[in-house]
Amino acid sequence: MAVSAPQQATGQVATRNRREPKNVFQRAYRQWADYTYIMPALLAMFFVIAYPIAYTIYLSFYSTPTAGENVWNGLTNYTSIITAERFWMITQNTMYWTIVSTILAFIIGTAAALVAQREFIGRGLVRGIFLIPWVISHVATAYIWVWIFHSDYGLVSGMLMDLGIISSPLVILDSTTWAMPALILVNVWKDFPFIMIMMLAGLQTVPEHLLRAAKIDGASTWAQFRHVTLPHLKGVIIITLLLTIVMNLNHFTLPWIMTGGGPASSTHIWITEVYALAFRSLRFGIASAFSVILFIIMMSMAYFYVKAMTAGDDRRR
Amino acid sequence: MASNATSVEERRERARRRKPKRQIRMSDVLAWFTLILLLLFSLVPMAWMLSTSLKTQFAALQLPPEWIPSNITFEHYIRLLSPGSEVGQEFLRYFWNSIFVSTMTTLAAVAIAVPAGYAFSKFRFPGRQGFFIAVLIRNMFPAIVFLIPLFIMMRTFGLIDTHLALIITYLTFGLPLAIWLLKGFYDNIPTELEYAARIDGASRFQAFIRIIMPLSTPGIIATAIYAFIIAWNEYVYALTFLSSRNLLTLPVGLQRFFDEFVTNWPGLMAASFVMSIPVVIIFLVLQRFFIQALTEGAVKS
Repeated sequence: MAVSAPQQATGQVATRNRREPKNVFQRAYRQWADYTYIMPALLAMFFVIAYPIAYTIYLSFYSTPTAGENVWNGLTNYTSIITAERFWMITQNTMYWTIVSTILAFIIGTAAALVAQREFIGRGLVRGIFLIPWVISHVATAYIWVWIFHSDYGLVSGMLMDLGIISSPLVILDSTTWAMPALILVNVWKDFPFIMIMMLAGLQTVPEHLLRAAKIDGASTWAQFRHVTLPHLKGVIIITLLLTIVMNLNHFTLPWIMTGGGPASSTHIWITEVYALAFRSLRFGIASAFSVILFIIMMSMAYFYVKAMTAGDDRRR
Repeated sequence: MASNATSVEERRERARRRKPKRQIRMSDVLAWFTLILLLLFSLVPMAWMLSTSLKTQFAALQLPPEWIPSNITFEHYIRLLSPGSEVGQEFLRYFWNSIFVSTMTTLAAVAIAVPAGYAFSKFRFPGRQGFFIAVLIRNMFPAIVFLIPLFIMMRTFGLIDTHLALIITYLTFGLPLAIWLLKGFYDNIPTELEYAARIDGASRFQAFIRIIMPLSTPGIIATAIYAFIIAWNEYVYALTFLSSRNLLTLPVGLQRFFDEFVTNWPGLMAASFVMSIPVVIIFLVLQRFFIQALTEGAVKS
């Protein structure tokens, strides 16, 4: 893999020594064998993606009583969601959660990547340790931190009391002010390694000789980073940011286990709300309409994502 | 001119000699400081989990909290891992269920993603771009958006409360990134290698299996780790699809424990620890493949 092929060579296996038929169907027919390689993937994706999407859209126009037939009710599900004050409150929570988590995780992840990039003894071990929060499950993470934040015997409360900073146990997860920041801290702890990996991978692609050239020209460490490293990382940064934002928008497990959306719905975000609507209140119709709304929001983000992802491909062809 | 040249030479020489002394630079200090802070940030919660799991239930509820338990006890681990006790029986069953579901998911994900990644990288069939975008888009969508329709669909097919439902679902979670990783990997394998095999009389499929697949082992390992970890840790679908107690996977099982033994924090921490060990070990041993795959494949392409 150290040998890199001239990029033009890719893709000639299938079409070499053949006249290119004009018709798309003829071409598809000629290359039918190509499709067998992706067929299993396509089938799986269809079964678990295309069909569910269609079904969600269908269901979003119906009222779904727990007993009896579904009843068509047009856009009622949508209007009732959007006009409710609760929707906007939860949207606000979601924004708070997503924006703060993404920014913090990005800063910490990038710092970790820059540190883990340097050469020192035990670098592999350090990288490994940084990655631990990312590989353990969200459920285990949630319980570890619920215990750390425990108001009577938790580490945070206990330490602060021990140091004499507070005199009575600190209520964290049951406080409308502190529950969300606490959840965000846990989320950042869990996600910064992912950003570190992506940035680390991106850093490997920065050409060494450019950095050396900058150094010889007397650029400071900061200037090297700012003018050589950063421009090279632009693509990776965009993709990582988009992925992190989407990951945070779709987060379920941490808030669901740690606070269940409480206290007073202060940590309910879109996803936990949809889940509660569907599987607690069993209102599948409304929950589906909610999903479709999220869907449209994600779709617009997907557009940017695919654009960023395929940017390299386009340039190549 | 000549004197000028020597003076430049001299200056360089002096600079070279000065270097080994190496004064401590701001950026180094900053880097070490950041490193230590980050290590503490990552490790303290894990250390606290481990420390709590080694305490008696009584000792865990002492203030101020003890970092190193004065009486170390393994009672919680013994209880969890001995097939004789009731709790142990249940925990080991969850553990086994998780291993089964994750392994099946991993095998299926590799079997499906390898040919697909290869085809997306090397073949130019009509509709290729569209398919690839569809695969990527899956990455964008919240798992939960698919939960409701999948739940209803699985109910229709009678797959609710089976491991198969979970395996199918986890498979598609992992596929998009797996295919993307592998595609990047195959992009870097010279097509000439395949030509050579073809000239020697191998069919395209044989060339793929014998020549290309072995070369992409690091990518395949990375894909497998990724699929395994996703399946091992997944919670929402397991929570929704499974109801029989003897089918639960670890994350949901852990939650059951929590609901039942709310005050037994050491026991819960021990269970969390045991649950984390397999993925942490797998990852620590194989992480270089993962970073290599990301570097060689995804990011470069």
